[in-house]
Amino acid sequence: MAKRTIAYAWSLASLTAILVASVSLPSLAPAQGRGPTDPGVRGGAAGAGDPLTGLTAAELAFFEAAKEVFAEVDAVADGLGPRFNLDSCLGCHSQPASGGSAPAINPQVAVAQRDKNTVPSFITADGPVREARFVRNPDGTPDGGVHGLFVIAGRADAPGCNIAQPNFAAELARNNVVFRIPTPTFGLGLVESTTDAALVASLAANGAQKRALGISGRFNHNGNDGTIARFGWKAQNKSLLLFAGEAYNVEIGVTNDLFPNEREGNPNCQFNHTHPESPTPLESENTPSPSASFQSDIALFAAFMRLLAPPTPAGATPAVAAATTPSSTQVASASSVLPAAAGTTSTAATTSTTSTTATVARGRQVFANIGCSACHTPTQKSGGANVAALSNVTFSPYSDFAVHDMGDRLADGVSQGEANGREFRTAPLWGVGQRVFFLHDGRTKDLGEAIAQHASRGSEANQVIQNFNALAGADRQAVLNFLRSL
Amino acid sequence: MQRLSKLGAAASLAAMLASVLAAALAWRYGEAILTFAVTSAMPDPQDGRVTGDSYTNPYFGLSYPLPKGFAEGLAGPDPSHSGYYVLANLVSQAEGAGTILIAAQDTFFDEARRDLAEAASETRDTMAQIDGMSIDREPAEIMIGRQPASRSAWRIDFNGVGLYRAMVITEMRCHLVSITLTAPDPQARETLASSLDQIVLAAGRDPVCIRDYAAGNQLIRKVAPTDMAPSSIPIPARIIIGSDGAVRHVHVIRATDGQRKSIEPALRQWTFKPHTINGRAVEVETGLALGGGGRFTSSN
Repeated sequence: MAKRTIAYAWSLASLTAILVASVSLPSLAPAQGRGPTDPGVRGGAAGAGDPLTGLTAAELAFFEAAKEVFAEVDAVADGLGPRFNLDSCLGCHSQPASGGSAPAINPQVAVAQRDKNTVPSFITADGPVREARFVRNPDGTPDGGVHGLFVIAGRADAPGCNIAQPNFAAELARNNVVFRIPTPTFGLGLVESTTDAALVASLAANGAQKRALGISGRFNHNGNDGTIARFGWKAQNKSLLLFAGEAYNVEIGVTNDLFPNEREGNPNCQFNHTHPESPTPLESENTPSPSASFQSDIALFAAFMRLLAPPTPAGATPAVAAATTPSSTQVASASSVLPAAAGTTSTAATTSTTSTTATVARGRQVFANIGCSACHTPTQKSGGANVAALSNVTFSPYSDFAVHDMGDRLADGVSQGEANGREFRTAPLWGVGQRVFFLHDGRTKDLGEAIAQHASRGSEANQVIQNFNALAGADRQAVLNFLRSL
Repeated sequence: MQRLSKLGAAASLAAMLASVLAAALAWRYGEAILTFAVTSAMPDPQDGRVTGDSYTNPYFGLSYPLPKGFAEGLAGPDPSHSGYYVLANLVSQAEGAGTILIAAQDTFFDEARRDLAEAASETRDTMAQIDGMSIDREPAEIMIGRQPASRSAWRIDFNGVGLYRAMVITEMRCHLVSITLTAPDPQARETLASSLDQIVLAAGRDPVCIRDYAAGNQLIRKVAPTDMAPSSIPIPARIIIGSDGAVRHVHVIRATDGQRKSIEPALRQWTFKPHTINGRAVEVETGLALGGGGRFTSSN
C-alpha cells in the first residue's frame, strides 16, 4: 500500500468545505418573469458522506479504513503520474462530502501551480474539476481517451523527468477537446447490487410513457460478459472495482492490479519500480480493519463507494412524504425552497419550511407528469448482496441507468462500449441539491440551464423539455425547487 | 428518355450529397450511427419531411397538413434498437400553444406484440399511474384521415399540470404509429385532434407484413455478414422481399457504420420462396435481428 499523506487532503477538504458553505446561501431573488431561478446549492449539513445504515461493526471498520485511503494524497514514490489530473480521490470527489463530485473551488489549480505546470485554459479556480479527452487522433481516427492535464516533471520528487503537458491550446483550437467532471459515488453499492433483470424491467415498466415522449434508451453492455454496465457518464464501467482501478491509473497515474501498465512509458519518469505501483499488500497495513489491512488501494476505493449511503434529500421527513398535492398557485418562489438554516427558529423560517414542503411536493409531481421521470426513474431495488445493508433495498437514484441520445448540444463524439458519441447515461439525480456543477463536462452551475441543454437536434429529451417550457412559471420553479431538495 | 436521364442525374447527385453528409457525420461523431440508406431509392420510415405546410412520409404514404401556426421543431433521435422512431416533432410558433409528436414502433420488434387496443390500454394505465395525471377520455376507436382512405385508430386523452394531451395510435405498414398532441387547454387539444381528419393516406399497394418471415423455412439462401463488429444487442434490420423471392431492399435500422457496411450486402444476397396470396406472388416486408447472442461464452 502506498505511503499516505493525509494532512494535505484534510486541509484541502476543510478549505473546500468553508468555501462551499460560503456559496451555499440561497438566492433570495424571486423568479423573474417566466424563467425559473435555480435556488443554488442547498445549504445546511451535507446530506451525504456517511456509511450505509445497518452496517455491522466489521463492515463499519472496513468503511472507515477505506475512507482514509480514499483521502490519501499520492506522491511520485507512490506511483503518481507521470501524467495525472489530481493526486487524490478526495480532491475530485469532495462535494458536498467525501465521495461526492467536483467542489466549488477547483483543487487542480493549486496542484498545477505547486507542481510547476501550466494551468490549461479550461481549468479555473471557480470551475469544475475536469479531465480532458481528445475526440480524434492526429490522423483523424477516433481517440476518446483521457489525456492527463499535468506532468510530474516539475516536482522535486521526479528529478530527470522532462515530459511536457499536452498542447491543449492547439487541440482546443481544432475543436478536439471534450471534458468530464467527477461523478458522485454516494449509494453506488446499491446500484452495483441491482440485478440486470431489475434494470431491464424498470426500463420497460414505463414504456408507454416513453413512447408518448419520443424516448427509447438502451443499456451499455460490458464487452466481456454481456451484462449491463452502469457506472460513469456513459455507463461504461461494469463494477466499482473497475471504476476505481481505471480512475487510479487514468486520473492519478497509479498502476494497479486491474490496470498494471503505465500509460506514459518514458523511462526517465518512472520512479516507482514496483509493478503494479499499488499492489495487493502481503503484509498488514495496520488499519482499523483486519480485512482492510490486506486490501489493495483500488479494493478499498471500491469498498468505500460501495458502503457509502445514498444522499439524504432535504425533504425526507414524514411531512413531505405525506404532503398532498397543492395547486400551482400554492407553489412558492425560489426564496422558500431551502430548509431553514441550522439554528433558525423564527416564524418566517417556519413559514418557509411549510412552503418548501408544498413546492417540493408539487415539483415532484410536475417532474413525473411532464416526463422527466421516464428516464430519471425515481426508484430502483437492489438484489441480494453479501452486505445486508445493500440487500433488497428500494432506493431513489432518479436514473434508469440506460444510455440515451442527448442530441447535438451535449454530444461529445466519444464512444465508450456501446454508447456512441451522442449517448449518455441518465445522470442519477440523487444528491443534485448539493451539486455545484452539472452535465458531463460541468458546463453550467445553473439547474435551469442544465435542463435547457437537454434539448437539441437528435435528443430523446426534446418533448420533455417542450413540456417543461410549456408549464406555468410557478410549476417550472417547483421542478427546480424539487431538484434542489434531492 | 431525356427526362429520365435528368432524373437519374438528379438521383445520383442526391446520393452523392448524402454520401458526403454521411462521411461528414462519421468524421464528427466517430462511431456515430448513420441511419439513412444512401444507395436506395426506396423510402424508409424515418424519411418523412416537413415541406411547405405539410408533413409527408413516403414510406407510410402519409401527408399531414400542419395545423395553422405549426412548423417543424427539433429533430428526434435516430431509430432505436427496438425499432422505435421519432418521425416528426411539430411545434406551434406561438409560445406554449402546443406540440405534436409523431412516432412509430416497428411491430416486428415489439416484444409485447401489442395490437392497437392493447397499446391504447397500456398507455391509459401507464398515464393513470402518474401522480397528478387524469384520464379525460378512455381509449376509444376513432377514424382519422380524409375519406375514402381514412383508417381506424385509438384515441386516449389525459391531462396533468396544465398540459392537455391526446394520443392517437393507428397501424400503418408494419408499424404502430402514434401521434401525441399536447395543448395548453382542452379546446386547443380538440383543435389539434380535428387536424388529424385532414391526413391524406395513399391507397398504395404496400408489401405484406409478415413477422419472422426470415426465420422460417421460406428462406432459401442465407449469407452471413462478414467482419461484423460484435454487438451484445441484436441489430434490427427490415427487408423487402420481391415477388420473385429476391431481397429488393435492406434497411438496417440501428447499427454502427461498420456493422451496416457488413450487414447490408449480405442481406441483399438472401433469397426466399416467393410468398403467394390466392396463387399470386406478392412482396413481403419482414424484420430480423442480427448478432447479439453467443459471443459471451468464452473468457478468451
